[in-house]
Amino acid sequence: MIALAGWCAALHGCEHSARGEAPPRDSVLEGRLAIQHHGCGACHRIPGIPGAIGNTGPPLEGIARRVYLAGVIANTPQNMIAWIRAPQLIDPQTAMPSTGASEAEARAIAAYLETLR
Amino acid sequence: MKRWLAVFVVLVLVAIPVASFVRSGYYNVAATEQHTAPVYWLLEAGMNKSVKARAAGIVVPPLDDAATTTRGLLLYEQHCVQCHGAPGVAPAPFALGMMPVPANLALTAREWPATELYWVVRYGIKMSGMPAWEFRLADAELWAIVAFLQTLPALAPADYRAMVRDAGASKLTVATQPHVAGHDGDNAERGKHVAVRGGGNAKRGKTALQQYACVSCHEIPHIVGADKAVGPPLAGIASRPFIAGVVPNTRANMVRWLQSPQAIAARTAMPDLGVSTRDAHDIAAFLATLR
Repeated sequence: MIALAGWCAALHGCEHSARGEAPPRDSVLEGRLAIQHHGCGACHRIPGIPGAIGNTGPPLEGIARRVYLAGVIANTPQNMIAWIRAPQLIDPQTAMPSTGASEAEARAIAAYLETLR
Repeated sequence: MKRWLAVFVVLVLVAIPVASFVRSGYYNVAATEQHTAPVYWLLEAGMNKSVKARAAGIVVPPLDDAATTTRGLLLYEQHCVQCHGAPGVAPAPFALGMMPVPANLALTAREWPATELYWVVRYGIKMSGMPAWEFRLADAELWAIVAFLQTLPALAPADYRAMVRDAGASKLTVATQPHVAGHDGDNAERGKHVAVRGGGNAKRGKTALQQYACVSCHEIPHIVGADKAVGPPLAGIASRPFIAGVVPNTRANMVRWLQSPQAIAARTAMPDLGVSTRDAHDIAAFLATLR
């Protein structure tokens, strides 16, 4: 089984270790709650969030691996936090609304999204 | 005696079928068609393992000074952007016809360590179209390219344009200008195609999108090797209400988006790939099947 998983990982090139450290577990849990509180799942499909099956925006499976946010800025932790808080400041054209998330909430949401590889 | 029998059995069971398979010419070597999934995975896994094994032990020099990065950018603009493109910049038309299509290096640089990037730049990759630069560039230049590659994942298209401008690199190459070679040529033709081919041919579109490097940035169902996370995954794109989060996902908008993404979303990293009107309609028809 382990060998099989290793083979699958090898096939998908996952063996090349991604950068960045795993976020602390507390903020990941807080992030999950904040995602539910702000209704992100109404527009996005988000693994691990009950009822998050929206398809208005892009699915967030594998968002941690994605190079760009909204196709316009680099997917760095700082940019993700800024994007969650005020997407239209980054891309005035985007359909994504301001979520009203606080800095701390946005940080926690970003921490959760960072686990979606 | 037993040994000879074993050799004979192996010959009959393996060598002869393999030889007749090769002689039959059954396997398609056309660059318009991706390898079959098992062959693709075998080559991909083999390449990954090979690079990893050979790059182990390479010592990385200091790469984080601005002068090295700028030197790398200039070299990138001179030697690399033609095949690999850059944030918001399409590869040259010839590169779009390559199989495998040259990788989007913002993604590669996120996932591969400096040692492996260096190894690939220096030695190239057999039968992939990636040349070895060992005999073309000095070692410091190879590392300068690696230094620049490492900045790619954090660069928005606008950042890249600014870097190129500041470095004066645009004088070296025309690759940062949007090219139009692949477009239909005259705009009168474009309108005509729209009228004639309203529906688009999804089957042809599936082949066409492999000729515009879509697979180097998107995860696309039913396409072998289309597993890249530069842009959003395209599974379910047909039922998504927006394109790029900015315009309603109608067929007309999708065609427009495929042909001139930056006219719709000025800041998008998706480049103008020179998609012809017929190809855009066919690709849109294929995307419409991804519910």
